[in-house]
Parts: sequence; structure tokens; C-alpha cells
Amino acid sequence: MRKTGYLHDMRYLLHDTGPYHPEMPERLIAIHNGIKDGGLLDHLTIIPASRAELKWIETVHDKNYIRRFEEICLCGHTTFEDQDNGICHDSYETAFLAVGGILDTIDMVMEGKIDNAFCAVRPPGHHAEQNKAMGFCYFNNVAIAARYLQMKWGINRVGIIDFDVHHGNGTQHIFETDPTVFYYSIHEHPSFAYPGTGREFENGAMEGKGFTKNSPVLPGQGDDIYKMLIERDLLPAFERFEPEIILVSTGFDAHKDDEMADISVTTEGFSWIMETIMKLGDTYSKGRVISVLEGGYCIPRLPELAKEHVQILLNV
Amino acid sequence: MFVSNSMVRKVITIDKEASVFEAHEKMTSNKIRHLPVVDGEKRLIGIVTDRDIRSALPFSLLKGREIGDEKSSCSAEEEKAKIAALKVKDIMTANPITISPMYTIQDALLMIQREKVGAFPVVDSDGTLTGILSVRDLLRAFINVLGINEPGTLVGILVEEKIGQLKKIVDAITEEQISFGSILVARHWEPNTRAVFTYLLTNNVMRVKKKLKSLGYTLLDPMEWYLDQLPKSDKN
Repeated sequence: MRKTGYLHDMRYLLHDTGPYHPEMPERLIAIHNGIKDGGLLDHLTIIPASRAELKWIETVHDKNYIRRFEEICLCGHTTFEDQDNGICHDSYETAFLAVGGILDTIDMVMEGKIDNAFCAVRPPGHHAEQNKAMGFCYFNNVAIAARYLQMKWGINRVGIIDFDVHHGNGTQHIFETDPTVFYYSIHEHPSFAYPGTGREFENGAMEGKGFTKNSPVLPGQGDDIYKMLIERDLLPAFERFEPEIILVSTGFDAHKDDEMADISVTTEGFSWIMETIMKLGDTYSKGRVISVLEGGYCIPRLPELAKEHVQILLNV
Repeated sequence: MFVSNSMVRKVITIDKEASVFEAHEKMTSNKIRHLPVVDGEKRLIGIVTDRDIRSALPFSLLKGREIGDEKSSCSAEEEKAKIAALKVKDIMTANPITISPMYTIQDALLMIQREKVGAFPVVDSDGTLTGILSVRDLLRAFINVLGINEPGTLVGILVEEKIGQLKKIVDAITEEQISFGSILVARHWEPNTRAVFTYLLTNNVMRVKKKLKSLGYTLLDPMEWYLDQLPKSDKN
């Protein structure tokens, strides 16, 4: 069994996206219930949230953008920059807690206190651009985590794997010209699904050319195609890149019962993906794999998906 | 949607007395495929395309290699001299098909399809060259029309071909506070039906999809449709 951290805090429920919004607090409750009812809590190192220092958020986002987000939340607005982005008074603080919790988790992994971790945070992050909130995301948690690993822990090569059903436009754009961060994403084809980026020909720019890889998947496809594409695109890319640590943008919305998109991955398919990521972690990254929650909106399926996910991290 | 809004105004042109080599160099360095030929008064007299040049120059010269080998160096020299003397006026298309800046983009699209050319010089009423419109410019205009430079989700809806259908769809989507990137209506293989493609500027289509279904609409299977609808072959 591995030592696995579990970033879990009820304060992540305080971010209220408004009525009928799919990115709802109940998602985290369902995830926690799955882990608890699976009898896994005793094996996990529970990590509470903490507030991130502003300077780390500023490694990715513009000062003005951060200030704008704060003001909009404190003024009592219900959306930020786009109708999609439901917010409340506490959203700004919750977003700080998400980042802070992830950075603490990184410290624990780097100090060897835990091997890997699952960060069950809200709000999600991978659509957030340097200067723009998008697709329910405000601070790009994973992007900030990558910068933190480089700046605080001197990591030279960060590998990011994003299997949320939507392309992580924010993460891709933030590291597009950066050869020290490899961004791999598998997602529903952008001609059909949000956000309309992540096409096969997007593969980085300037010095970062070749350090971004996208595997778009056509609607209706499932486990077989995911398996084929991950083996064809991700495995050789990471063999060349040899990431020192792997950050995972974990989205469960490619599940066949999740109505946010048109992809049909099964629960077993998600397990295969995670097992494959763990093997990559063992081969190149001393087992250092940090999974950060992005999307996943099918409340009835989230408990089993989270349980399987954590079991694979624990290796039980 | 006028040509004047989408055309390239700073046209790179060439003189009819220029050598074919010069024309080739101009195209390569500017990454273009069409060079309008103008007289001293900027009046259009012809157009030369990369295809005209390709037909005129042997492959080896295009690629900057020496012609022939040692054995036949004499005839190769002659060949080279002959080609070097070739001028734009020898290979250009004189009096090419032109369009006016007040043509619409739709006119230009239909004309490109009919004339099978890659670009039209744009001339005003007295024959002065004022721009050029290529397939590339039309594509840019249509990427804009489709709205696909903005983040969104495509939802295809099958509707009966009768008045008022689109209104109901637009109302239903608007009630969900969703903005439109574009709406396309295309013909469908089933008789008396239309396919409506709404590009919605949102990540959140779950509720609106349910709503459309509850209103009795059929959502098109994304793997079943294409923008240019044809009858299903298995029906034959």
C-alpha cells in the first residue's frame, strides 16, 4: 500500500454556483461518501485546506484579474465574466483555499510524508486563463501547482495529464511556450464540445513546440479509443519527456452516464486510465502523482469513480 | 458582408515585364499564390499564379538546383537562358475574372465555386486594382461567422420544416441565459425536416438539452450529421 494524501475540507462547499448549476457542492459530498463508504478513510492522510499566499496565484494570473475576481465576489454578484461562471460572496476565498490545499499537498509529497494524493477541491481550474475566468474555473489550480513545484522545489520537468472531458485551454495556453511543462490532454473533440480548443494540430509554440499534446475523441467513443489514444500519444511523449512529477487534472465527466458531454468511458475505463498514469509515475517520477479534481457532474456515479480513483492511488 | 470588408487592401503586385524568377521569388517570400499584374496607373492587366510559374519552370529550377548533369551541361545552359528570358506577360492570364468591392461575400463564394479559381482581384469601376480576395480571406470570414474562435458547445437539433420552429428553439435557449455564437440551418436527408446547428457560448448544455427534448425536439447524434447533409446511403 502507498501513502496517499486526501485533500478534503468542508469549506470547499462554500463556493455556491447558483441554482441548477452542474458544478455544485454536492459533487464533493458524493466523492467523499464514495471514499468513506469504501472504507478508505483510515488508509488516507487527510489534508485540510489552507489559504494560499497571493504570490503563488500571481505566478499564473494577472494582479488585475485577481483583484477583479475579489471585487465581483465581495459586491455580491452571482456571475463572473460569463454566465457560466456562477459565484457567491465566498467564491474568492474558496478559490484561495483550493490553491492553498494543493500547495500544502505538494509540500507533503516533496518532503516524502506521502507518496501521492487526491485533491478534492472546488472550484475547478483548468479552463482558467491568465486573465480570464472560463467554464466554472477561476484560478488554474494545476498551473499554479506546476509553477510552485518549479519555483519552490526546483523541479525541472512537470508532466500534466488532463483527462477531463473538456480540453484544459487555460493550462495549455499558460504553458504553451514553456518546454519545462508538458501538457497532455484527452477530451471530446472541440468541434462538438466546450471550449473549442485542443485540436490535434495544437502542439505548443516557440520553445514549447512539441511539449503540448492533444488527443481529441469523437462523440460516442469510449474505453477502446481512450486506451488506443493514450497508448499512442501519451506513453511515448512521457517516455521522451521523463517528468519528475505528474499532476493530473482529474475530470470524471467523460463517464457514459455524465450528460455534460457525449463520451462513453466506463468506470473500469477510468480505472485503466489512472492505473496507466500510476505506472508512468513509477517509471519516471518516483511515484509522485498528484491528482486534482476538475469536472465530473453525474452525482450518482461520482462515489464509485472517486473510490476506484483513490484505491488506485493507494494501490489496494 | 461586402468584399471590401474582407479583402486584402495592400496588394503585392508585379510588372508585366518582370522575369518569372522575380515573380516566383515574390510569391515565396510573401507566402502568397496570386500576383496581380498592373500597369503604371495601377490598372489591372492580368494575374499570375504559382501554378502558372510551376508550369513554366522546370522542377529543378524551382527547388534551386542546377539543371541537368555534366554530360548535357551545354543544353542545360541554353535551357536556363531561355527560362531566364521568360517574362510575366508570357505566362500570365490576361484580363482575369475580377470582382467589385461592393460584391458580397456570398457572390464571391458562388463565383469561386463556379470559376474554380483561388482568388479574385478586386477592381473599382475604372479598372484600378483596390484589393485581392482569396479563398483564405473567405475562410477567415466564415470562421468568424461560425463563431468558433470563441469557446462554446455545438448542439444539433432536428426540426420540422415549418414557420416558427427556430423561434421556439431560440426562446428556449435564451431562457437559459445562454448566448449564441452562431446558428446554422441546413437541409436534412429526411423530407420536410431541417437540421439546426446552434453554437452555444457555454460549457453548460446539460439543462438546455433536456429542455429541448422535453419540448419535443430530437437532438441530432453528433456522429450522424455533417454540415453538408446528403441522403443516407443505406436508404438506396
